[in-house]
Amino acid sequence: MIEDKTAGGRLFTVVNITLLLLFALLCILPFMHVIAGSFTTSAELAEKAFVIFPTEWSIDAYKYIFSTDTIFRALLVSIFVTAGGTLWSMLLSVLTGYGMSRKDLPGRRVIMFFIVFTLLFNGGMIPTFLVVQQTGLLNSLLALVIPVSINAFNMIILKTFFQNLPASLEESARIDGCNDFGILFRIVIPCSMPAIATISLFYAVTYWNTYMHAILYLEDASKWPVQVLLRQIVVLASGMNYDGSTYMDVPPPEQSVKMAVIVVATIPVLLVYPFLQKHFAKGALLGSVKG
Amino acid sequence: MQSQTETKAGKVLSKNEKWELIKKRIKKNKLIYLMILPGLLYFFVYKYIPMYGLIISFQDYKPYQGIMGSQWVGLEHFKRLFADPDFWMIFKNTLVLFGLQLIIFFPVPIILSLMLNEVRSMPLKRSVQTLIYIPHFMSWVIIVSITYVLLTMDGGIVNGLLQQAGFQEVNFLLNPDWFRPMYILQVIWREAGWGTIIFLAAIAAVDAQLYEAAKIDGAGRFRQMWHITLPAIKGVIVILLILKIGDVLELGFEHVYLLLNSSNREVAEIFDTYVYTAGLKQGQFSYSTAVGFFKGLVGLVLVVIANWLAKKAGEEGVY
Amino acid sequence: MKMKRTAVAFCLIGLVSEACSNNNESASNEEGNEGGGGSGTIEIMSNLHTPEVPEPFIEEKVEEQTGADLSINWVPDNNYNDRLNTAFSTGTLPDVVYVNFNHFNQFKDAIRDDQFWEVGPYLDEYENLSKLKDNVLDNSRVDGKLYTIYQGRPLSRQGLIYRKDWAEQLGLDGPPETTEEFFEYAKAFTEQDPDQDGQDDTIGLTDREDLVYGAFKTVSSWFGTPNDWGVQDGEIRPEFMFPEYVDTMKFFRRLHENGYINQDFPVTSKSDQQDMFKNGTAGLYVGSMGDVGTLYNDAENINPDVEYDVHNRVKGPDGEYGIWSIPGFGSLQLFPKSAVETEQELRKILDFFDKLMTRETANLISWGIKGEHYTVEDGKAVMTEDSQKFDREVKPYQSLEIGEPATNGSYQLKAEYAPKAKSEELNIDNEDFLIEDPTLTLDSETDLQKGTRLQQGINDATYNFILGELDEEGFEQAVQTWRNNGGDQIIKEYTEAYQELQ
Repeated sequence: MIEDKTAGGRLFTVVNITLLLLFALLCILPFMHVIAGSFTTSAELAEKAFVIFPTEWSIDAYKYIFSTDTIFRALLVSIFVTAGGTLWSMLLSVLTGYGMSRKDLPGRRVIMFFIVFTLLFNGGMIPTFLVVQQTGLLNSLLALVIPVSINAFNMIILKTFFQNLPASLEESARIDGCNDFGILFRIVIPCSMPAIATISLFYAVTYWNTYMHAILYLEDASKWPVQVLLRQIVVLASGMNYDGSTYMDVPPPEQSVKMAVIVVATIPVLLVYPFLQKHFAKGALLGSVKG
Repeated sequence: MQSQTETKAGKVLSKNEKWELIKKRIKKNKLIYLMILPGLLYFFVYKYIPMYGLIISFQDYKPYQGIMGSQWVGLEHFKRLFADPDFWMIFKNTLVLFGLQLIIFFPVPIILSLMLNEVRSMPLKRSVQTLIYIPHFMSWVIIVSITYVLLTMDGGIVNGLLQQAGFQEVNFLLNPDWFRPMYILQVIWREAGWGTIIFLAAIAAVDAQLYEAAKIDGAGRFRQMWHITLPAIKGVIVILLILKIGDVLELGFEHVYLLLNSSNREVAEIFDTYVYTAGLKQGQFSYSTAVGFFKGLVGLVLVVIANWLAKKAGEEGVY
Repeated sequence: MKMKRTAVAFCLIGLVSEACSNNNESASNEEGNEGGGGSGTIEIMSNLHTPEVPEPFIEEKVEEQTGADLSINWVPDNNYNDRLNTAFSTGTLPDVVYVNFNHFNQFKDAIRDDQFWEVGPYLDEYENLSKLKDNVLDNSRVDGKLYTIYQGRPLSRQGLIYRKDWAEQLGLDGPPETTEEFFEYAKAFTEQDPDQDGQDDTIGLTDREDLVYGAFKTVSSWFGTPNDWGVQDGEIRPEFMFPEYVDTMKFFRRLHENGYINQDFPVTSKSDQQDMFKNGTAGLYVGSMGDVGTLYNDAENINPDVEYDVHNRVKGPDGEYGIWSIPGFGSLQLFPKSAVETEQELRKILDFFDKLMTRETANLISWGIKGEHYTVEDGKAVMTEDSQKFDREVKPYQSLEIGEPATNGSYQLKAEYAPKAKSEELNIDNEDFLIEDPTLTLDSETDLQKGTRLQQGINDATYNFILGELDEEGFEQAVQTWRNNGGDQIIKEYTEAYQELQ
């Protein structure tokens, strides 16, 4: 790309980058505070005397959370569910999304309407629990994946991206003798990698954050993903268990431990995006396929 | 273009011939139907079957009696909702917050991604992207507690600075006037960076040759943005807008609940928080389901309108 | 390029389908396991009050000692209600359900519908269960019948924790004995620089966004306000219709106006409230006196010279003592007929709980293993240094306890820290002047349906009165609104139920 070399252009670049950097700084300061908090003592946190650099450093919080294998196990469950769930959801969403992007499909509008409808109405926790039970998923990690196989929102986004592909691409493939599956996997998906990467990220994050379903559907605590642990510790440490039995007088976990758990439960999912970022490279894929 | 000529031709076809044409199209698309079958099956089993649960909004549902055994009460719960003296306050608050989301929050990720798109240095662009999406992973509990530490009058950082600068302390947390700005700023802080991802993906799909051609025509950055980038992502924007409108009454229960207090209830109480205290907390499933049903209806009406408008304007729409 | 992409895509599909089939297999295996549990196991659903689910170590010991086969379903405290309601509505409740008092009210309908076992007639047959305190059991009766056993809790742990070193510094003699003295303390702690740093950086009382477990309700019982509901002229009336409640609000308003309490207390979380006490911002903390132990742990690290003391006897303007009480239990245990199908099974479960109440087993779930988690000194339990080990292996099981030390013979805690030990004594001292809630066993359908929402209006008005946003007339109006929107009906229903019992 050619640099814009006019004075106005340069000014724009400077202002633009400055604003973005400021916003980025604003975005990470609280997280830096959490990281710093995880490396200090709870007394230091109670003093509220630092933002990023505590005066007293300590790794006790990490020693504490890693002294049993609970958090490792929970992380493994989360990684497994996230990886498997994302692949599964992407498969279904791409298939459905591509099908729905075909404008000549009879019944398309009706089907789409029924899918959009599910975004607006849901039967609630209890009937859903019964269906999960009836389909034999209770107490299985599949209960965290199958009942949320497709997010209609994500599917619709994919469909929109697929629709925006030039129709000529598909036609030329059809002339080459590809059937619909061939077109999807040889042309549409490779041409839509930014969208595929985006929606994969959306699914991955949703699966990573899953926690209510784990509590409802999994009795066996050894199958709980890390968010259950995170949530429990954050709520207990903040004294916000508004639903809990308030007569119990259990001392809350230490604030530094809370922050350490936040860090450990967040870092893995933060790493997903940089990993996917190469797929956002501008127009590269489109060009290569065309060429 | 193509579909238009088809419908025009369809008008002169007889019913029988039209049916034949559809049959032919179905046959032609049989692989496509095969593709969408698993997805549709999913929606049917895990989304539509549980919807029978909506029945309880017309019942006096008792868990131990089940749906079959519970008593029918007709529109009783809806009447209770509309008769609640706070109904209009809640309705208004919900709409205002929704308006803020739509007018103030919605454009922010678009602007941010346009700005990011103008950054030429790849490492810089990627770093900024990675940093601004971090807040999305902070839970509301943490965000609200950090906000408290910043804004409280009991030794909060912001009020400390204000005092040093010779200003009056500001009661950010208890003054109802500050609730809405605080709400929307927190939403922007947490979700704006995250929201850019989808637009960046849309921008990435723009054909690079278009920019080259524009440059040769002497178009500056803003004109390129206006004439190439924006039109290219317009489709995605419209879809997101419609979906957002359908989400009108989902404003983040946990977020609002954590911000809600006795002083700002008049502006902060929304349907979700209302349902929590009025229904769920006391196990009144019927009532809370009825309120959810009402929310769904409002969303449905809005989506239908928005979709119709989008189609009118020549856009694709969600269905 | 093109070929490579396609290959990758197809590989992806292969992976997915493979992963799925694997998952399916494991799923069916698990179902098999579940089914194989057999009817010999006692399934228990209980709150998890700790970050992590405990190691099964203690559970195995309990099984050894009681001969029962246990399966405990831990549910994170914050989502207990959701889990409970789901299980209840789908007929999947386990053999034993732990519920707290608020949840218990929701079950009354079903209890009357004969969905749960009545256990009252059986208790006498068991050596230990028969020791359960009648006055506590009575608080959980439904229409005079007993459907539950209980986990005991001190009737009232409420009181004051204060900075003794500050009080001495300022020449304040002993703890505040009256509410007016309490006010003077708050004033002195705010205005007279108790930490001697030459800066105006201290306040009196630290409070939080909780009218019940924060300071307000405790101070209001010092003033002589009834506990949620009071009896006047033979009628049950809500606490806020009593003048003592209004006096308490005025008291807090004075504290707030003068800056003797944290200005943002209606939005202060528990941890922020406690931080202010730990880090030397505030000198008075009203709530559970037992908190002094954990407060001191951090406070000592910030300022080694800090000295706390606890106190419970504070007289109101009428010269009387008073403190609100809880029903005497932390949770109740229900036995659903859907899971416990025969009387024989019920007896087996009760037998287990009877054994859980023996001294040996009760100590096991309260303190762990002697020598490993605790030692005994002067007939009391002393925890070993390794509190992490205790937290992980023992603490969660404390929520399974049945009865209390007086009935199950478990050791009391011998606290190393003197104020903590004193707080245990004051909990007992509180029993001399308890204020009880007269509606504990009474029912009001309207309260169940609208109570929480209506109470919210009163809470809002209370806060706004304290903040000076509302005057007395405004508060009266809020009470009137409460009455018009269902309050009068609640009063009527409770009063009728009350008079029936008299």
